[in-house]
Amino acid sequence: MAEVEHATYRVGDTVILDDVSVNFVPGAFNVILGPNGAGKSTLLAIATGLLRPTSGQVRYGDRLVGEYSATALARKRAVLSQRVDLAFPLDVEDVVLMGRYPHYGRTPSKRDRDIVTRALELVGMTARRRQRYTTLSGGEQQKVQLARVLAQIWNYDEPREPRFLFLDEPTTSLDIHYQLHLLDVARGILDYDCTVIAILHDITMALQYGDVFFLMEDGRVVHEAHDAADVPAELVERVFRVRASRVADPADGQPLWRFSL
Amino acid sequence: MLRRLGFGQTYLLLFIVLLIALVASAAIGAFSFTPAKMLQFVGEAFGATPHVAADELGRNVFFRLRLPRVLVAGLTGAVLGVSGTLMQGLFRNPIVEPGLVGTSAGAALGAAIVFVFGDSTALAFATPLGSLAVPVAAFAVSFAATMIVYRLSTAFGKVNVFTLLLAGIAINALCAAGTGFLSYVARDPQARNITFWNLGTFTTADWRGVELIGFFFVVSFLWSLRYGKSLNALMLGESEAASLGVNPDRLILQLIVVNTIMVAVATAMVGVIAFVGLVIPHVLRMTKSSDYNFLLPASALFGAITMEVVDIAARIIIPPAELPIGIITAVIGAPVFLWILLRQTRGGSVGFYG
Repeated sequence: MAEVEHATYRVGDTVILDDVSVNFVPGAFNVILGPNGAGKSTLLAIATGLLRPTSGQVRYGDRLVGEYSATALARKRAVLSQRVDLAFPLDVEDVVLMGRYPHYGRTPSKRDRDIVTRALELVGMTARRRQRYTTLSGGEQQKVQLARVLAQIWNYDEPREPRFLFLDEPTTSLDIHYQLHLLDVARGILDYDCTVIAILHDITMALQYGDVFFLMEDGRVVHEAHDAADVPAELVERVFRVRASRVADPADGQPLWRFSL
Repeated sequence: MLRRLGFGQTYLLLFIVLLIALVASAAIGAFSFTPAKMLQFVGEAFGATPHVAADELGRNVFFRLRLPRVLVAGLTGAVLGVSGTLMQGLFRNPIVEPGLVGTSAGAALGAAIVFVFGDSTALAFATPLGSLAVPVAAFAVSFAATMIVYRLSTAFGKVNVFTLLLAGIAINALCAAGTGFLSYVARDPQARNITFWNLGTFTTADWRGVELIGFFFVVSFLWSLRYGKSLNALMLGESEAASLGVNPDRLILQLIVVNTIMVAVATAMVGVIAFVGLVIPHVLRMTKSSDYNFLLPASALFGAITMEVVDIAARIIIPPAELPIGIITAVIGAPVFLWILLRQTRGGSVGFYG
């Protein structure tokens, strides 16, 4: 499991993260919710081990993140962010292979190649594997990046060892098809001893896909819910400064949210 | 067609072309040699064929002038090709080359400092360092210049083309001002040397140059081969590379050091040769691949080939005089640079090579 313990992050006198402790639930789709400037990205960056908190620590299982070498950490967790542009044209396959970089020295093994193939299959980009990344649409590029981070941590055949997939607003700027597709694939990886920790902006979609929810406001986690139904509407209204109403989907009774100012 | 070849086959092809270029470059010039003659000279040198006394002049020209020149040209081309690849990878931008980001101009300034003050007591350190004073000074100033340009152009986490260009212009101007000042205050033979050498020249190439450039090139090149994967990962951006286990700060420092070592030594020997580092990786990317595991060895080979061709041109365009190398590379390279820049600014720096 991934744990953040009493993490504080300060820039000068400004407190961006204020003594946050979070236990991400293993094997679950953890969602961090909150308005702009609440400290979500900072919390995520600290949880990935890429950003050192001013005070506090991060633990994966019983080891501190600082005890991992950069390479060992890269085999343990992967990070997908909003959008990655390449200044130079690489083939799709070569971009996905980068996910295996922490796993091999000079030349990729057959297994590395195999994982690349499977990751491409999983995101549905096998047909484009020899195409240049720079010629893809934004949605397709994000699929390739997803395949890359999957290849990085996806051990479909190895002894079970927990791994973490961090998603930093991965669906921003994607159309609805790509959004749903990306979150579907991310949910699928939960079956391979992976824990997903995601920042999502679309509350409805977050509640639809997530298992555990952390609501942030002003650098603190103000609410933790282990069921979409337990996310209190009043709190969402206050934190996001909107009016929210919840209705049941006539088709299956699932809660739908409507927002207005 | 090239796209179909494997990396190994491409290296082989480049290597064969390089051999042809080397032979051609050794043969052509004010004093021209037939392949048979060259073979005879080499054979004599290794004691394989009997010494022919009548060829004394030709032998001297071949071994004292032509051969070191051919080798220095090839090595310098390889240095600039690899350096262009490393710097474009570091800055994540295809307009970058050692001449743009201050590496060459800094090296020139460092070398000029030793040229002018080296014999006097002004620089006491120059004496104990002996013949390494010029490369060492070139390295120090060159490293500082490149580091400043990198820091300025990445001030906001991402490389900005315009800050990069402006920072490069400013640092290059500063170094050029220093070099200009030195050539102004220097006594005549030194001053002429500095001016000539601002445009790059192989006329002064000797065996010591071959040894120095060769040694530092081989060391830096073998070292740089380790960075193929990291440079690829860096294409994704600094934070993505970090999440793949690359330490960007350490990588950047190491890349600038390894790059500056070879460029500083080469520049100290033959002067500033612009645009080669720009064109070499560009052509390789367009015809083959942007994978740095491929680009690093390929740019060494292709850089050497290109420099031989340019040097042959320098010798035969206005015989018996010689054109400075920098003039030819600028005439070819500057339009390429503008073309890349135009495509880049028009395309919003994305989707560059299509």
